[in-house]
Amino acid sequence: MFFLLKRSFRVKTEDLKVKHKKVISLFIREVDTGSCNACEIEVANLNNPYYDVERFGIKFVASPKHADVLLITGCVTRNMLIPMIKAYENAPAPKFVLTVGDCTAECPYFKDSYAVEGPVSKHLPVHVHVPGCPPEPAQVIEGLLKLSHFADKDL
Amino acid sequence: MYLEEEISETEIYGKVESIIKKGGYLLSIVCSDERALGEDFVIRYFFREEGIKVLKLCVGTKFPSITSLCPAAKNYEREIRDMFGLVPEGHPDSRSLMLYPENWDPSIHPLRKDYDGKKPEFKKYGIYRYKEVFGEGINKVLVGPIHAGIIEPGHFRFSLAGEAILQLEIRHFWKHRGVEKVCEGKNPEEALRIVSRISGDNAVNISLAYLNAVETLLGIKLSQRVSYLRCVLAELERIWNHVRDLGWLFMDIGFPLPAQHLFSIQEQLMRLNKVITGHRFMFDAFSIGGVNVKIEDEEKRLIDKMLTLVEKETKEVERFAIETPSVRDRFETTGRIFRKTAMELSLCGVCARASGLKRDTRVELPYLAYKDFDVNVPISEQGDVMARFMIRVEEIYQSVNLIRGFLENLPNDNAEKQNLLFPYSWSVGNAETPRGNAFFFVMLDEKGNIYRLKYTDPSFRNWPAIQYAVLGDIIADFPLVNKSMNLSYSGNDL
Ligand code: SF4
Repeated sequence: MFFLLKRSFRVKTEDLKVKHKKVISLFIREVDTGSCNACEIEVANLNNPYYDVERFGIKFVASPKHADVLLITGCVTRNMLIPMIKAYENAPAPKFVLTVGDCTAECPYFKDSYAVEGPVSKHLPVHVHVPGCPPEPAQVIEGLLKLSHFADKDL
Repeated sequence: MYLEEEISETEIYGKVESIIKKGGYLLSIVCSDERALGEDFVIRYFFREEGIKVLKLCVGTKFPSITSLCPAAKNYEREIRDMFGLVPEGHPDSRSLMLYPENWDPSIHPLRKDYDGKKPEFKKYGIYRYKEVFGEGINKVLVGPIHAGIIEPGHFRFSLAGEAILQLEIRHFWKHRGVEKVCEGKNPEEALRIVSRISGDNAVNISLAYLNAVETLLGIKLSQRVSYLRCVLAELERIWNHVRDLGWLFMDIGFPLPAQHLFSIQEQLMRLNKVITGHRFMFDAFSIGGVNVKIEDEEKRLIDKMLTLVEKETKEVERFAIETPSVRDRFETTGRIFRKTAMELSLCGVCARASGLKRDTRVELPYLAYKDFDVNVPISEQGDVMARFMIRVEEIYQSVNLIRGFLENLPNDNAEKQNLLFPYSWSVGNAETPRGNAFFFVMLDEKGNIYRLKYTDPSFRNWPAIQYAVLGDIIADFPLVNKSMNLSYSGNDL
């Protein structure tokens, strides 16, 4: 029982547009600042057997205190602004910010709302942005690899 | 259209009491600012009772709270106080709900028509008092808003005696985006794009509820084919949601093997979504009066293959859960919601059905192709995690059969479109999402744009139940109870 994975479906390293460097490993804290939860689900899917992001040395951790990267989704609601900034402050330096989804940048749907304080770049330095509504898991992996190149240079 | 019964403040208790006695339950409470239309603020109470019963109450600055009679009304009334500044008299909780005193000026009420859209200065205007539990040996565990897993934000406060949970207090609305206000002034087609982004994993079913309301208002009659195809998408969404939810249940008891197995099926289902609609979550698959989906012979074969696989694998997972003692040990008697609680809180969806209430919008208020098909509503009396697990399993089988039925009988006909507009008249729409009943209230202005839109997510109704479900369980069971209900934060927070 339980061996359903179709090898041919698995996302291969060669197919990604960004190359994987073997030197850098990223620990990530995911922070949702007001998404519609589709972006979360795609990020959570990175851990399923088809994407298996840990093979790149990328791991999701429980606390910003353990993280190198904040992966931010959502349009930064007024209520989440302070928690987001606190999470950033609590991550040890050097730290990087990856934003995932259109909501974090131009936010085509909710930007005019009284309750929205986005984009993320207004409040934190953003290193890499992955566009899409929501971006597909492979695109998020590419974004993460791009960030690892960036981090490699910076360290 | 729905007949509304106009009532006065003194009559409301009697009316609500008699509805509840007859077995009716609350669907939603909708307030709207109709001062510009020659009325006052209008509060409409929607009850499910032989169809939908609507009570209309015109109010000035305050209104009688019905929370003591109907506990399900509690958060609706708090919401009305935040959004419109009307005071529910006799309400047990005087704290704000969505607009936080930590950053919002409490004298500004954004859903009033005279709100100018200016945000107040970002500063602390007051504090939010949590409920305290005192006593020797009582300790507190505070969780969130940012959680350890890859999930949405919410704040949970546990008061514990040892490991047992004495009280859980939830604070939500961290993700409050102001969806209802954003929709105002938009045309129904633009609003549809926003509505499908209320809660991404239920996008299809939520959109169906919205379309149900809007198409009634615009007088659009759907072709049979469109209505069948829409239901196919709705059931596909239910399947992938349930498959994922089962996976998380195994994940949270430390059984990654079946969990990852189910996640692979979820992935294949989402890829199938992309094949037929061009999007993994089927966003923007609908338009007003139509549906953009490619289901030809090739796709039908693909769907059929996938359904066979889902059915077979679900059976295996079901057997695994029943035959593995350590799974049953964690699932059974954990997180019980009793029937009485479920009734008082007007629960819906899987949570209601697992607690013995036969509630399913597809049967109670049939829409689209569900009018032509029988939907069996699986019921359990246990109310625990196992019951919710089994209901999801049953519903997967059910959805598989429904999709097969829809595709076999797919009609070929063309829409007869007729557009009538009823300015400032309103309509409601309902649909059964994987989480339960989604309710829309839509009112259009004379140009056909949205004047007021109110959405009630199944999560908004079901979240309070978790505070009862965890009582007496140990804190380590909380993630499991939470996942077994799997409620949406974004749908709740709006
Ligand atoms: S970018 Fe799109 S999918 Fe992601 S949170 Fe925003 S609306 Fe949802």
